[in-house]
Formats: sequence, C-alpha cells, structure tokens
Amino acid sequence: MTFSSDEHVFDTFEDALEGQFDLGVTDGLPVIPPTPERVRAMLDAAGIAPDAVLGEVPTRDVIVTAEKVACNAVMAGCLPEYFPVVVASVRAVLQPKANAHSTTATLAGAAHAVIVNGPVRHEIGVHGGQAAFGPGFRANATIGRALRLVIRNVFRTVPGVLDRASFSWPLRYSFCFAEDQESTGWTPLHVQLGYDLDDSLVTVQSVMRLFQITEFAPGCEDILTTTYEIARHMGLQRDDWAGDERSVVLVIGPEHSRRLIAEGWTKESVAEWLWPRLNADTIGKYDQKVTLASPANILIVTAGGPGIAQSWWLIPHLAVAASEKVVQG
Amino acid sequence: MSIVTLDPTTGFGSSEAFPLAPRPATLRGQVLGVIANGLGDSEIMFDAISDALCDTDGLAGVTKIVKPSVAVPPLPAQWDEILVSATVAITGFGGCGSCSTRSMRDALDLEAAGIPAVCIVHSALEPAVRAMARLVGADDYPVIVIDYPHNPTAMWTKEEAAELAAQVVDAVRLRLTR
Repeated sequence: MTFSSDEHVFDTFEDALEGQFDLGVTDGLPVIPPTPERVRAMLDAAGIAPDAVLGEVPTRDVIVTAEKVACNAVMAGCLPEYFPVVVASVRAVLQPKANAHSTTATLAGAAHAVIVNGPVRHEIGVHGGQAAFGPGFRANATIGRALRLVIRNVFRTVPGVLDRASFSWPLRYSFCFAEDQESTGWTPLHVQLGYDLDDSLVTVQSVMRLFQITEFAPGCEDILTTTYEIARHMGLQRDDWAGDERSVVLVIGPEHSRRLIAEGWTKESVAEWLWPRLNADTIGKYDQKVTLASPANILIVTAGGPGIAQSWWLIPHLAVAASEKVVQG
Repeated sequence: MSIVTLDPTTGFGSSEAFPLAPRPATLRGQVLGVIANGLGDSEIMFDAISDALCDTDGLAGVTKIVKPSVAVPPLPAQWDEILVSATVAITGFGGCGSCSTRSMRDALDLEAAGIPAVCIVHSALEPAVRAMARLVGADDYPVIVIDYPHNPTAMWTKEEAAELAAQVVDAVRLRLTR
C-alpha cells in the first residue's frame, strides 16, 4: 500500500504531537500523529484503497480520498474498526443534497450530527443511552471528531478562511450518537428509511439549531404540544434547493418515549400528529411555520437516558439529511 | 528514531494562473448577467445597478437569475440562460460565509466561460472570497467591497440598497471593461 500524501518527519513522538499544531491541522486539541502504519490499519479495517474516492466537495473542486480521511480518523483517535462508520459519514456529507459547501462555510456555524443505526453500534460501541450526546464514549467522540477534522483539513474549512462561523459552537468538535433501538420497540430509523434491520446505517444531519424539549407533564398531548411549540419558536423556512427532501430530526428521550408507548403511540403516529401543527402558517415572530413536505420528513430517533423528561430537536441548515450504509471490510 | 506522519490536508491553491475573460471597451451594447443569490434585500441593489447601467452606459439588456438557495451554483437551466445571453456579469451578494464564497465561484466560473464578471461582497467576507479565488489560482481577482455601517447579511432598507447601488456602479463599470 503506497500513499500520496506529503510526509512530515519529527525527531520524537512529542515533536510529532506538537508538530501537528504547527502544521495547523488540529481542532485545538491534541491529535494522534497520523503515521503511515496507523493510516494503513484504518484503511485495512474498511478494506478500502488509499486512492478510493469518497466524493467531491461542491464549489471547491476538492476530491476526497480514503487516504486523507484515514489520516484524519487516526488523528481523531479512532480505532481501526470505527473507520467504516467514518467512511460512511464522509460519503453521506458529500451527497450533493447534503450541501457540504454551504453547511461548512456558513456564518451560522452548522454542526453535523452523525446518527448510527444497526448492528455496528454494538460491534464498536457507539453509545445511544445515558449521556448519548457525550462526552464520555470513545466511538461517539472520535467518529464525530473524525468527520469534523475531515471537514477542516480535507474540505479546506479552516476558521477565519472558508469556515466563516461567527461564533461556532462546541458541537463542532464532535457530535455522534447511536439510536437506542432496543429500549422502545419502535421501528428504528434505518428500517423506516428502507434498510434491513441487519444493515448498519449512518445518517448525517446538519445542525444549525439544537432545541431542548423539556416537558414533565404526564399527558402525551402535553409532551407533543411542547415539542411542536418549541420547534415553531424559530421555525424553518423553505429552501427551494433542498426542496421537499429537507427533514428535521427529533431525538426522543426515554421518559417521553415510555409515556408515548404506554398510550400506544408509534414513531409514525407521533410524526402524523406533529406534522400539521409544525406546518401550520406562521402566526408571529415566535410562532413560525416549520416547512416540511410530509410527516416522513420528521426523522425520529430514540436516545438518551432515564431521569429528566426531555427530548431534542436537531434543526438543519440549508441541507438534506443524508444516509449511507456502513460497509465493513 | 524519527517519526514520519502523513499530511492530512488536501492543500490549498493552484499553481496555474487563472485567465480572466477579455473585457469590452465599454458597456454599450453589452448584456448584463446578474447571478443573484437572494440574500436579504440585495436584489434591490442589483436591480438598481442594472437600471443605472442601462440608463448611463447603454446596456442592450439584463438577464437576471436568482439561485434556488444562497450557497449553491445556478441551476443548469439558469446557467444556460446566462451563458446564452450575457456578455458581462455581476454576482452576489457576498454577505454570508457560504453564499459569498459561492458567489465568488460563480464569478470565476463566468470568467472561465469567457464572460467578464465581478462579485460584490461585504468587507466581513473578504477573506473568504479571497480564499476562494486562491483555490483556483486567481489570487488577485478583483472584487467590489461594501463596508460597514451596512450590515453583511443585506438586511437593508430599500433606500439603503439603492444608495449602495449608487456607490458601487462606477466600480462595476470599471471591473467589467478594459
């Protein structure tokens, strides 16, 4: 296996560690030096050649190769067995409708949520339970970080240059979690999207806003009313380019899902109930239409731990949620 | 023992010089293409620039397209419409991170297609569009810059947009002619 990347030579491991800062390739935290041996192990784990093309960044003419992605996965601290998930997340964000130029250069500082479904969650330990949004879980933290380092180093999205985020936010260090498929018995997201239960899938959603939905009332309509009211606080305007495919993600926590399941609600019926209320015309500055083409554009996943009665909205930038099957080597 | 690491970046910039489209001597008889991204109230400014150049410079016409999202290329049909009709062009408004860089790319794509172009941006986004120009080797590609107190995201009054048009129209003429 031969590599095309330029090489940097350091006298010691410590020099290599500090040298990555000097090269301007970190997110501000230390990274694992991407030695050829480590990069090779990543690629081997996914059974993918270094020159394999994972996609192209629109507007920038950047061809993204597996070798560059593997370098950044090493730097992020990924284990080799995580690499197929990293590859799927990069392929997803490079789907044209995921609008990689827009979501990574925007003033709004959009993050990217990597949502993992299927058996790979258990095989590599992507966590979907208590504190699923992190920190604390190596697979979650490093897979999400790998995508962000790829966006920085491969997509050429350096803060102050092509990354124009006015504030940015901590979700852009890393944001990856699994759907907790087992705790509810609801249809998992990847099956809803047409994949087999035994498939593993990565779904990447750009995240411009993250809204907490805390509702302690026991009634399900109270929970769901608070849910849509919070989304309508700022609304979601139609984007002609993203069109009818644009989705929001609703992460339902166990205190809410437990009550909904007890009253016979399913993901599908929750979406059917929410959609007309989200999609109703704007009434005022803080009661705005969330423009979605259908109930299917509310992507519901279950995650989080017991305790507080809480769920979360992941509201996108000018992009469509994109999914890619995880292909293991 | 030394440690070798691989460079994780794709690099930046092009070693090949970017050729600009040849400029006409004047705008008389030219058709102005406008690739607008719909940001804020910037269309008012573009319309006012177009009207002013029609009145004072004898443009033969204006073809304006508004892209379906602020930071994407024109749709293929929109691009064809511009290529078929426009002989000079302006793009913008470069007032947000992704839209400014995309509008710069629109201008550079027009140059590559043989149409003299200029991108109108806000000073807050000038480093971004300069970076976009460097990507294709057009390091010194001129842009027209709007500064504060006008806000970057083109949330302008109609009067302000018209005033901005009056401010930049001479620069537009200068950039599109030789």
